[in-house]
Amino acid sequence: MKNFISKYCIIKPNEVFVNGKLEFSNIEQNGFGAFMKSIYKHNEIKYPKYFKMDNLCKVAFIASEIILKGNDHIKKLDPTKVGIIIQNSHSSIDTDIKYNETIKDKSNYFPSPAVFVYTLPNVMIGEICIRNKFQGENTCFIAKEFNPEFVCDYVSNLLDSNKLDACITGWADYVDEEYSAKLFLVEKNEENKKDNISFKPEIINQLSR
Amino acid sequence: MNKIYTIADNIITSLGFTSNENFSALKNSKSGIAKTEDPKITQVPMYASIVDSEKLISKFSVIGNPNDYTRLEQMMILSITESLKQTNIDPSNEDTLFVFSSVKGNINLIEDENHPFEKERINLWAISDQVCDFFKSTVKPIFVSNACISGISAIITGAQSLKNQKYKNVIVCGGDIISEFTPSGFQSFKAVSEEPCKPYDANRTGITLGEGVGSIILTTNAELVKEQKPIIFRGGSNSNDANHISGPSRTGDGLYFAISNTLKEANKTNTDIDYISGHGTATPYNDEMEAKAISWAGLNSVPVNSLKSYWGHTLGAAGIIECIAGIHSIKENCLIKSLGYNKHGVSEPINIIKDFQEIEVKKFLKTASGFGGSNAAVYFSELDSD
Repeated sequence: MKNFISKYCIIKPNEVFVNGKLEFSNIEQNGFGAFMKSIYKHNEIKYPKYFKMDNLCKVAFIASEIILKGNDHIKKLDPTKVGIIIQNSHSSIDTDIKYNETIKDKSNYFPSPAVFVYTLPNVMIGEICIRNKFQGENTCFIAKEFNPEFVCDYVSNLLDSNKLDACITGWADYVDEEYSAKLFLVEKNEENKKDNISFKPEIINQLSR
Repeated sequence: MNKIYTIADNIITSLGFTSNENFSALKNSKSGIAKTEDPKITQVPMYASIVDSEKLISKFSVIGNPNDYTRLEQMMILSITESLKQTNIDPSNEDTLFVFSSVKGNINLIEDENHPFEKERINLWAISDQVCDFFKSTVKPIFVSNACISGISAIITGAQSLKNQKYKNVIVCGGDIISEFTPSGFQSFKAVSEEPCKPYDANRTGITLGEGVGSIILTTNAELVKEQKPIIFRGGSNSNDANHISGPSRTGDGLYFAISNTLKEANKTNTDIDYISGHGTATPYNDEMEAKAISWAGLNSVPVNSLKSYWGHTLGAAGIIECIAGIHSIKENCLIKSLGYNKHGVSEPINIIKDFQEIEVKKFLKTASGFGGSNAAVYFSELDSD
């Protein structure tokens, strides 16, 4: 059984690639927030909850919106069979540090539940699930560097064992204005498609360069 | 397919440094939760389950230098060392994989700017690197951080790696420590109970936090099995509510999907469960959601408990230590009392365990739910229990 990548999005500093083509670049060299907002506008995303998200969720969310654009059939699948498996290096450390600022000074002590909830890396997966009503297998793995071999093995198992029909997988990371996302929409093979990109570690490696 | 056997385990919590010490406290309905006013943990008096620091350092000193490892790393190394004593697998062999789970890892290093460790030690992967180096493992470890279901996710991931036959043994280890970070966050949510937590009770008002580590060794190598009736991992699944990042589903649908997919993978039905080890955080919404999912799955008559009233909510350890307790419930044929439960406080008539019982137990389901809308379930049973 072969699974294929139907769309992928790579977000690098100041550049967004979709299916290998540079689709958007940050000519004004704005910071992360402004750059993401311009991609949000460019893709005509309308989702006010986006503005409440922390930066890790934002980068993962934007990449997920891009790969799901034009793929409405994914939202018609059994929601319990659409999964999200994402790897990440810095967990939620960026927000952890921000949250810690609110409890550090005992004379200015203001822990906020709205910040605290984002001190979990898997919340980025939760945000994408909520947006699209996906209810399948979802796990956040932590690794120093993106490990396509592991991700590919893990997701292929979920697809091949029929636990999932489709999966958003890859990488999303944010810490202190350094960010990257490499998200792939993976589906089961259809007979009539011949130009499919195989879902294999070496191909993921090649595509995410 | 080869069976996945559980062959060794260890629990480190306020109730002791071995699984037996912990389980014997559970059998005697003894909780490790106590009041703390430690300013490094909380600004207001709070109940929590805390590991004895002096004992930890003295035990760790026998196997390593406590100055080289953080509190969490010490607990993990100690726990894995104890588990390894029960079997003769070689952790440095390339057929053995380490799978870790933690929610906040070395979070105390973010709070304490004067800590003696290198900056990168705040990363979760730095913990697995330290622990794997200690055991001279060269296999790239796996680290799961899935909020409160992390421990179960790690067991599912470990089992998956064995099914692939890439590895023969998996050492699953998960844990979290208590510093000021987590209590202050849950306090800001007004989710911390003013007394020891009371899962499923009518007067429950929130969680009690705890710290600890659990480790469990899984293998497909039948030659390593010493018991006549070993406990076997049969299946596991996770799901998402897709409802709210910090509140559980109102219907219990996500948890229901995790339970039904777990039973499907285990090739079991809802009549094949002797005991459910629930998540039972004792927040009003979580316990209510769980009751709905359990009822939806047709499991109203199955005995359920929550062990949070013994250990507190130990985050990355919870799923692992609660599975270990389930395994010991099978081995010792008993059901642990769901401490803190006096008056039924959920809308469905689920069967909460009111008293410790000696009764035949051969198979159990463990469930968990957490922030980010995540839910998970796993199923374990004795060999030839069908």
